[in-house]
Amino acid sequence: MTDISSNELVIETTDLVKMYGPHVALEELNLKLESGAIGILGPNGAGKSTFFKCILGLITTTSGHGKVLGYDIRTQGDLIRSKIGYMPEYDSLDPELTALDQVRYSGELIGMNPAHATQRAHEVLEYVGLKDQRYRKTGTFSTGMKQAAKLACALIHDPEILICDEPTNGLDQRSREFMLQTLRNTVEQGNRTVLMSGHVMDDIQEVCDSIVMIYKGKIVVHSRIEELARQVDEEIEISVWGGSSNMQDSLESRGLSVRRLGRIIRVKVESEDTISIILECAVESGVQIRRMGEYEPDLEDIFLLIMDKLGAEVKKTSDLMTSEHTGGANN
Amino acid sequence: MPIISDKIIDLDGGQTRMEAAYGSDDGDEDLFAITAKREASIGAIFEQNYRPWDGDFGPRWVRNYAIFRHHVFGLFTSKGHRNYNPFIRLTILVIFIGAISPIAMLFFSSLFGSDPDGFIDKMWGINRSNLWGQVLGYFPRNLCYWPLLTALVVGGMISDDRRNGTSAIYFSRPVTRVDYTMMKYLSVAVVLGFVIIFSYMSYYTLAIVFKGEGWGFLIDTLPMFLAGLICSIVLVITYTSIGLALSSISQSRFFSAIAFLSIIYGTKLVALLIDLQFETSILYILSPYDCLAHFGQWMLGLELNYSHSLSLSIISIIIMNLVSIFVLISRVSSLEVTRE
Repeated sequence: MTDISSNELVIETTDLVKMYGPHVALEELNLKLESGAIGILGPNGAGKSTFFKCILGLITTTSGHGKVLGYDIRTQGDLIRSKIGYMPEYDSLDPELTALDQVRYSGELIGMNPAHATQRAHEVLEYVGLKDQRYRKTGTFSTGMKQAAKLACALIHDPEILICDEPTNGLDQRSREFMLQTLRNTVEQGNRTVLMSGHVMDDIQEVCDSIVMIYKGKIVVHSRIEELARQVDEEIEISVWGGSSNMQDSLESRGLSVRRLGRIIRVKVESEDTISIILECAVESGVQIRRMGEYEPDLEDIFLLIMDKLGAEVKKTSDLMTSEHTGGANN
Repeated sequence: MPIISDKIIDLDGGQTRMEAAYGSDDGDEDLFAITAKREASIGAIFEQNYRPWDGDFGPRWVRNYAIFRHHVFGLFTSKGHRNYNPFIRLTILVIFIGAISPIAMLFFSSLFGSDPDGFIDKMWGINRSNLWGQVLGYFPRNLCYWPLLTALVVGGMISDDRRNGTSAIYFSRPVTRVDYTMMKYLSVAVVLGFVIIFSYMSYYTLAIVFKGEGWGFLIDTLPMFLAGLICSIVLVITYTSIGLALSSISQSRFFSAIAFLSIIYGTKLVALLIDLQFETSILYILSPYDCLAHFGQWMLGLELNYSHSLSLSIISIIIMNLVSIFVLISRVSSLEVTRE
């Protein structure tokens, strides 16, 4: 986890509304984001992309106000975009250009002098781990290299805010770790703000200190991850052998709240006697308890819990980790 | 642990992080970091350091010039700029040489001295027909050169950004859609202008030089030259508008190029068949080339080949440009930065 070194307000919105015809994409967004690493979460169609477009000053908001780094998102979009680096989720590289030329051109499009852009392109390509590959055409790159090249394009002008749209999408484990570490370094060493969206909660948790959860155009959660974890009910996780469903029934008959995933059972801590009750139930059900411990909820649990309470159907990380998502890395 | 030369090499601490992330081969899926531990005892060869940059950004014209340079300079060198296939570059060179070929004929005729029959002068010298023909003659210029040149230049100009998602690179930066469209338009127009207008101006200028004409000739022919110049500018604008509009509506280089050629040749062919069958030239108002040719004949004071009113051709040119620019603007505005 990274430490937020300063508490400057980088993004501030007041009653921000964006409507596409009758459809409300963002509904009265009131947000104050400080510098650091922030995860933007939400199911598909929640309004994450619309939020990014708004803070990039690319679309006209229906009502409300917003400021990014002190610039008005309605009138100073150009200035905002010169201070922000945006890494798109999908391919955004010319396959005929070398990585160096692509990154340099990205810098020139912000207004960098060609000589400075070239020098800086070398630096950022080294930073993202593509120093040896910089003269290769991006069309020959693997998915991980393409993601890194896109990150280099976003970083060339040393932006104050880096927006990453699913930066680990399609990466194998090693490339994913490197990408996350690079983002962490950007926050820690560079003292830059990273806004990161994604569906894989582990990735968000690894980089971000706080999260903003958007659902149906509204902000449902804006909190530090550790504070959020504290708000979630304390649970005891046990691993049982032989008759886990009987064990579940037994625990529920004693009035305990239980979640079961195969042989893993999580029991909500109701009182100091909960552990004793669990042991008694194990004896009654005739099951072995192989492991017992306090369960620390991760971000995915929190996310699923909140979405469940909101009545949203969202996929778990394990559902998302298909070969299509990971580029076959997990197969 | 991978086994190399029958020895087990402990990779822990020996691999570089850079290599670990992306390797130096084709992909990162078949990665083996083979940096030996003995050579890198500490193991942290690659140290990731974030380097800040505090330079200044240029104004709007610097960004716009970068777009222009990227597309136009790519024709001369693909190093660092947009990549044009060598075949495309070669074809454009051949078209340019073809467009300036009358200059060579004038040069050779100047070497021969007298031209008693006036044959050379009639064929390649400066007169109304030749000035019109240098820009608007059907064969070879408007049958082969200009449509092919336009098709090759506009193919991929915007469609590549849609296909590769590179529009995000532009619009996530302080490049507005107006700037983007204008610079793409200007890039195409400058390339077409270089071949069409520059060859026309060179032809006129060098014809005077080679034939040793005086001020009187210059004053006599200058209005004709300027009329032809206006026609060439209108032709460049019209072909650029139509070509870029087609490039903006697809993701394929091939589509925009073929669609442009189809419009130019197809409308001409249909109008010709109707003209032959029903003896009416009215359908030529659908043909961009014929509208321009009609306008050019009037501008240069030539006998008109078309029976329909000149105003219809002029209105048609205006409508073609307006519709094309409308399509271009609306399609560029649909280019996404974030994909839904």
